[in-house]
Amino acid sequence: MLLSLLAVFAIIGLTSALHASEAGVVDWQKSLVGVPLTYTTSLSPAFHRVHDTVNTTRSVILTATGNNVLAALDPVDGSVAVAALSGPGGATLRIFDALTGQLLLENRLHAPSSGHLSEPIDLGTALSLQPTENTRPHIFVLTNGHSVRLIDGSTGDMKWGWTSADQTSKVIYTKLVATSSTVYLIGLSKSIQSNTLHITSLSASTGELIEDVDVPSNIAEGPADIIPLTSVSGAEPRLAWFDRGAIRSMLLTPDLKDKPASTKEARYRRVIDVNLGEERGIFVAIQHDGSARVFRIDEEGPGVKAIWEFADSADSGRYAPSIYSGGLDKEGNPYVSRVFWSHVLGKASVHVFAPHLADGKGLVSGFAFPFDTRTHGIINHVCVLCPHMNGVAVDNAHPGGFTVLTRLFVTTTTGAVQFWQRDVLEWTREESLASISAAEFVDLPEEQVVHSHNAESFVQRVVRHIIDAKDFPRYLAAFVNRFLTGSYETTSSVLPSAVNASGLLTRDTFGFRKVIVAATGFGKIYGLDSSTGDVLWSRILGLGWAAEVGAVIRPLKIYVTRTVADGDTPQVVVVTQRRAENTLVDTVLFHIDALTGEDARGASPSGEVLQGLDIISGPLVDMFFLPGEKKVVVLIDEFLGVHLYPDNDESQEAFTKVAKSLYLPLRAGVPGNRRLVGHQVHPNPELHDHYFASPIWTTDFPASEDVLSIIRPSHSQPVASLGKVLGNRTTLYKYLNPNLLAVVTASKTVSKCSIYVVDSVKGSILYHVSLPAPDGDCDVKANLVENWLVYTYYNGEGDRLGQTKGQTLVSVEFYEGNKPDDKTRSSDISSYSEKSTHITAYEQAFLLPHGITALSSTATKFGITTKDIIVAYQNNQIQSIPRRLLDPRRPKRKPTSEEMEEMLIQYDPLLPYEPRAVLSHNYQVANVQRVITSPALLESTSLVFAYGLDLFHTRVTPSGTFDVLSENFNKAQLVFTVGGLLAAIIITKPMVQRKKLRERWYQ
Amino acid sequence: MRPSWFLAVLCRTDTTKRSVYGELGPAKVILDNGKSYGGVKWDGTFSIPDVHPGTYILSVLAHNFTFDKLRVDVSDSDSLPEVRPYIPGTPLSPPSQVMLPYPILLAPRQRNNYFVPRQTFNLLGMFQNPMMLMMVAAGAMMLGAPYLLKSLDPEALEDFKARQAKYSGIQNSIQSGDFKAGLSALMPNDDRARSTGVSTSGSQSNQTPTKGKGKGRRR
Repeated sequence: MLLSLLAVFAIIGLTSALHASEAGVVDWQKSLVGVPLTYTTSLSPAFHRVHDTVNTTRSVILTATGNNVLAALDPVDGSVAVAALSGPGGATLRIFDALTGQLLLENRLHAPSSGHLSEPIDLGTALSLQPTENTRPHIFVLTNGHSVRLIDGSTGDMKWGWTSADQTSKVIYTKLVATSSTVYLIGLSKSIQSNTLHITSLSASTGELIEDVDVPSNIAEGPADIIPLTSVSGAEPRLAWFDRGAIRSMLLTPDLKDKPASTKEARYRRVIDVNLGEERGIFVAIQHDGSARVFRIDEEGPGVKAIWEFADSADSGRYAPSIYSGGLDKEGNPYVSRVFWSHVLGKASVHVFAPHLADGKGLVSGFAFPFDTRTHGIINHVCVLCPHMNGVAVDNAHPGGFTVLTRLFVTTTTGAVQFWQRDVLEWTREESLASISAAEFVDLPEEQVVHSHNAESFVQRVVRHIIDAKDFPRYLAAFVNRFLTGSYETTSSVLPSAVNASGLLTRDTFGFRKVIVAATGFGKIYGLDSSTGDVLWSRILGLGWAAEVGAVIRPLKIYVTRTVADGDTPQVVVVTQRRAENTLVDTVLFHIDALTGEDARGASPSGEVLQGLDIISGPLVDMFFLPGEKKVVVLIDEFLGVHLYPDNDESQEAFTKVAKSLYLPLRAGVPGNRRLVGHQVHPNPELHDHYFASPIWTTDFPASEDVLSIIRPSHSQPVASLGKVLGNRTTLYKYLNPNLLAVVTASKTVSKCSIYVVDSVKGSILYHVSLPAPDGDCDVKANLVENWLVYTYYNGEGDRLGQTKGQTLVSVEFYEGNKPDDKTRSSDISSYSEKSTHITAYEQAFLLPHGITALSSTATKFGITTKDIIVAYQNNQIQSIPRRLLDPRRPKRKPTSEEMEEMLIQYDPLLPYEPRAVLSHNYQVANVQRVITSPALLESTSLVFAYGLDLFHTRVTPSGTFDVLSENFNKAQLVFTVGGLLAAIIITKPMVQRKKLRERWYQ
Repeated sequence: MRPSWFLAVLCRTDTTKRSVYGELGPAKVILDNGKSYGGVKWDGTFSIPDVHPGTYILSVLAHNFTFDKLRVDVSDSDSLPEVRPYIPGTPLSPPSQVMLPYPILLAPRQRNNYFVPRQTFNLLGMFQNPMMLMMVAAGAMMLGAPYLLKSLDPEALEDFKARQAKYSGIQNSIQSGDFKAGLSALMPNDDRARSTGVSTSGSQSNQTPTKGKGKGRRR
């Protein structure tokens, strides 16, 4: 059985298998980690110094990102040193090696379901290390806001655990301070007016409760107002907090007897933890006028002392609000930096305060760096590292002058992370590409050679010819070379550079190079070169009127409104939904030139933020491309009004022409109770030239079922054959109803999902299947192309006899009529015809080796090439599954000769894991959310782009490269054979002649 | 709901502990569709906590290695989980009779090879092709036949020549479309057929040399 399967793959799987030399040439992969989390100090990016060998250290930038990734970036080139993907939910302690990413320890602290606190994600969680004689320290872990454990860092064993006696109490512990003898838990106790500080001290060795006090205090904001401070001298730690305008502090002793002291004046606005509290005892407080003071732990007086005030840091119209952060240098000296955007300079400025310089009086050095706010938005977070301190004598008057070499790690609102060495940009990573919400391939125009010599005299022409002739030797050499060595362009050759002499993007011979327009959830749109993955252009999507209140732009879909076939540069329309902070939702369109990223409407100047068109002041219900010649985007608002883009007479006319035959299946109702309702478009009697949709049918799904998603077939691909000729010379005609839709529903009462295939004109159900939904969540992925539906789900009902568990992929094909040779002309007949529901569905289920995160089918120019299914597996691989393996008519016994003629192979429930069908080969392509495909100019080739966390792009040839000489083609063998035959003829010719002559003489 | 723990060791025979991870890369061991899982640690061990009683399929998510799947039965009682081999695509129940030891010991079945070797030009391989062998043999026969004939007994040679002439005559007449002559040539002791054959071949041989010369000169 296994052998036969392997043989099957040997026959058909290898048509698209990869050669080692093609890896990295026909495909590319970009490792991304996601946009760093910046709203909390414990998770935001931080420099971390690791002892690599005995006397060298390496620093890495550690960051947790919005894509559930813990990453370590190399500051030298920004490459990903480590990326560990975390699973959902639960409190699990994991220890990683910061340089290699090896998982050193994994310890489940409590089950995902028993977690109490969810937002923000680090609430009620804290870690503290306790050095031991061992290489690995012990770890104090605070989880869930009320339990503490001491965990042995090398074995993962729990030394002791302590849980607050009354878990339902209003005390939530948020911070943890550990000394060698005592562990202090700092929590907030909620009362009616505000929060009061609650401190508990535990014995570090046994976990026994020592003391438990409520400190009379008034903390308005929450955990961010409390900063634990320790000094390097090993004295008792101190706690500072912000209390009604003043900064108060108290000494932490095991008996918690210290009386809180307060600064004299209550003139502060807030305190900022700059991550220097531990061991350095430094934090920043903002005064009422906005100026910032640096505080340090102090044994006398109120316990904290202002040691510095940043000059000119008060609120001002000349610069944007400052960001404060702290950093350490190689020797462990602390630095506090202030980064702000100066409106006057048009640059970002940094002031770095070094408390230990100038004989302990402190010194500030500052510089400005040219941060490009128009491409990267606003600086969101800064992480500072001062690796060296160059003792440079400035001049004689200041012999002790220092410059501080500052390195900055900047996170911006558009999701870019940048690394600056003083004012030099070392590298930029566009991490928002890890959260692409819509992407589309756009064809590139052909290279055009323009000859414009109409009025040319004879002499001019001769001169031009002579000038052109200088290229002739090169051409000749290239021609001879090509003729002799056979180095012609193949599907796997390296593409020439994208930009030609005139600076315009052009396509290559086979149309492999396209622009991938990708819109991200961080309000930025990118144009990527599909042959290399490089960013060709990027623009920020403007917020329009909502810029003042703040808003989030979520791209929904990208439509290619003008292609190169229309004779001009291609353009795209990005449909987005803008959710402003004041909860207003608008639908905004951006019309962009796909080659340059310029605004096609001309509303925003080059290089500036793109200005969108607020087409609907309200949310969007549905959108589609108008069928027919004109490329018009049709948008339906929540009141079922129809909006067209572009909104001109031509598109109105085109819409009026097809309005009568437009049937719109829309999702109606609130989430949890959504139904599929069919609509028809009518002219609005009150407003001329306006249309609205009105319901005409509702599907008769059970009332308990909620419509989760609607899967539309892609109409862009032509259908090459209308039927399939069987071995007995009968024909199965494909059911090619253009109004087919697949609908995934979830039932609220039983843990079942359903897939329906619906005719969207009258809402009749053509195919229905009910699937098990383990734990009630419907993780069904489906793809509908032509008459072929493929869906996949996890089948967890393996308990019954003869059943099994596993990721199941079902392949369904629809054919006209009840038997072969039945023909209903399904692609042309009216959906109201009674014959349109006469279909036969052939289906077969297959087991997959791993879980699937995304599913798609290949697309080619004319649809002649077979369509393979591209799947993204849970183990970070992307694989193609040949169509022949997924044929639902595979016989369950040995194939008869007729079936052999149809190239059918015996059914086997298992689709084997075949490494040579893995498109992503050695690349790890993690967490793929979607796979999109696009045809190349070559009929045999389809482009595949997968996105999610990592980006991956490759070319596939499902039926082999039948329209171009393959790389395997052996020109040497051909030449050798022909040469050999020639030699044989030359040698044998005189012999034959001699023989014949002799024959004539001696006959 | 009593949480069960199971602990297992994932080993590779030939390597030291640290390089287990280096070769395997980040890997995860999952039950069923990954709702419960455990990461493979630096020493190759893993543990999946909080597993509810039930029957699970254990699989390994590793990038470059393929592992076998196992059937794991976690029971309510204090007894250890039962581990059995499982072949994907076969019914889960009735369970296999073979029991595997606990803690689970997994070894990769294969290292994934994603590439197919490129076909290279191989002179030897080319001549090993049967068609090629036949061609070479035919060529050798053609060249070697006259010498073979010389060494033959004169009488047998005469006989052989006669036969050959006859057959070539048939061949020629069939080629020139004269089936009747070809057929009649098969009849014994027919002189006319023989002469026809010879004359046909003669007329052909008159033309070919000039053609051949022209070709030869050109090259």
